[in-house]
Amino acid sequence: MRLPDLRAPDLWRTTAFRLTSLYGVVLVLGLAALLALIYAQTATLMSQRVDRAIEAGIADLRQADAEHLPARIQQDVAGDVRRMNYFGLFSADGVWITGNIDHWPAGVVADGPATDVAAERRYGGDLRVRAVRLPWGEQLLVGRDISQLAGVRAILLQAMLISGALILVLGLIAGTMLSLRPLHRLQALQDASQRITHGDLTARLPISPRRDEIDMLASTVNAMISEIERLVADAKSVGDTLAHDLRTPLTRLRALLYRVQEEVEPDDRHRAMIERAVTEVDILLSRFRALLRIAEIELQARRSGFQSVDLAALLRQAAELYEPLAEEGGVTLLLAEPLYDGLETTLEADPELLFEAVSNLIDNAIKFTPSGGIVSLALYPGPALVVVDNGSGIPESERELVLNRFHRGANATVVPGSGLGLAVVAAVARLHGFTLDLADAEPGLRATLRAGPKTA
Amino acid sequence: MTADEIVAELTAHGFEVERVADGREGLLLAATGGFDAITLDRMLPSMDGLAIITVLRGAGIETPVLMISALSDVDERVKGLRAGGDDYLTKPFASEEMSARLEVLLRRRGAPPDPVLRVGELEIDNARHEARHRGADLRLMPTEFKLLDYLARNPNQTLSRTMIFEAVWGYHYDPGTNLIDVHIARLRRKMEAAGARSLIETVRGAGYLFHATA
Repeated sequence: MRLPDLRAPDLWRTTAFRLTSLYGVVLVLGLAALLALIYAQTATLMSQRVDRAIEAGIADLRQADAEHLPARIQQDVAGDVRRMNYFGLFSADGVWITGNIDHWPAGVVADGPATDVAAERRYGGDLRVRAVRLPWGEQLLVGRDISQLAGVRAILLQAMLISGALILVLGLIAGTMLSLRPLHRLQALQDASQRITHGDLTARLPISPRRDEIDMLASTVNAMISEIERLVADAKSVGDTLAHDLRTPLTRLRALLYRVQEEVEPDDRHRAMIERAVTEVDILLSRFRALLRIAEIELQARRSGFQSVDLAALLRQAAELYEPLAEEGGVTLLLAEPLYDGLETTLEADPELLFEAVSNLIDNAIKFTPSGGIVSLALYPGPALVVVDNGSGIPESERELVLNRFHRGANATVVPGSGLGLAVVAAVARLHGFTLDLADAEPGLRATLRAGPKTA
Repeated sequence: MTADEIVAELTAHGFEVERVADGREGLLLAATGGFDAITLDRMLPSMDGLAIITVLRGAGIETPVLMISALSDVDERVKGLRAGGDDYLTKPFASEEMSARLEVLLRRRGAPPDPVLRVGELEIDNARHEARHRGADLRLMPTEFKLLDYLARNPNQTLSRTMIFEAVWGYHYDPGTNLIDVHIARLRRKMEAAGARSLIETVRGAGYLFHATA
């Protein structure tokens, strides 16, 4: 399948894109680790400084005695213009005496370590608090605003988010840019391969001047295709030369037999044998003709004979041509009317070859339909031409084979003809880029010749 | 089919034959005139058959030309006929087929188109596209009329099925033997139903012959 356009899944599948994205993710993770480390270091340092300040505060207040301590605390609170320091004096059983910490914070233990306390409404921000028991039983709380630390954390987090996003976006852009080139090259490779698959063995995969690993692969494949092209041409020319070279002596043989037939007396007992010999030679010749015809059609890669053809008119003409043959075989040839009915029936084709193909389809249908049967012809949008018979049909396993030039259906031995009619139709369809589809008509064969490539 | 065989076949049919194996000489010979018909191979030394016919027609020489070629490709046929060839035969072919085609070419040239052809009691009216026997319309279908017309205008000579198919239907491929046979059979039945003698003889292994000497 050809890439219709660059879609996200295609992009994701390229190596370049995956690698770039992976690098981006790794980079973001590394950055996060770095910032986390910086944050941890900064936090530790700041905590230590806060702890020292708290210790200094406690040491300072310890110098005051029980009587003067409340006044000192009020003085310190009043003097702390920046509202960085917090104090609280509580009785031995935890009742507030003075200070701007008026509520014993949860989690803080007297004579325990300094503890971070989540911000409460009355304080400016988070506090780090340490409590000590004074010699006379009262408990002193000294705290310090640590919202600065939160500020640092926010800054670092922000830095991480912004730079991470930037790295990811830049990574995606770089990845896309890096993948577009290989994708475009891949598309060119696919186009070429598709032409080759469709039988154009002269096509080659494109090779860039960079001579990278894709080019190495492409030139290997090209060498392979050249070899295949040579072999196919060999096989074809052997077959065609054979058919052609055998045809000349056969034509002579037929002419000789014909002359003998003319010369023997009508009641000569050899006459019937000579007539049978002529018939046999005729069958051989018709097979060779069909084989050569297929080769000719296949070689006719040019479309010089193409012109606008009215399929409806062509079908009518073919039906008229075959109607007596059908009648002789006791087969009813039906032309589904009206053929037009608003259908677009003109198409670009070689009229001679298209007529030959349509004739072969009808001929084939009539041949394989027993007396009393029906062969019907119809046009469908597309335009598509459908020939349906209710004869013996073709088993599913053989449908592909009959389109091949050296195959005759198992039940075809009793029927005269080159046995190559459908192969000729297939060759014509290939030349035009049409689709020939054989299906079961239950019973019989339903052959569809559709303008345009096969659709699902 | 070699040139020798062509000469032998044509001589056997009572033609006087001159042959050259070179394109340039052939052109000179053809140009000096006096011939009733020319068989011309597409592949010749020193000058291509297609070039010869183009020069001949360019010079106003209208001698009928039957082109002979190993290239049966439709394109090649079209090229040959467009260049001015009157008929095109692909190798290999039966020599009878070639002489029959030449005779048709000679007759086509000789006879001025007569709108009403009379063969015994049969009248073939090209203007009204009908055939009459003793004045009674045979009621032929268009194709049947074309078939009878072609046969009657080329009487007393064997016409191969391919020739008939080319002339009546206008397509150039092998239609298979019995396809033409059933059309002929139908035409015969219509003629016999009208009381006319069939006049169309089957030549076994070769084609059909129309008897004009009624």
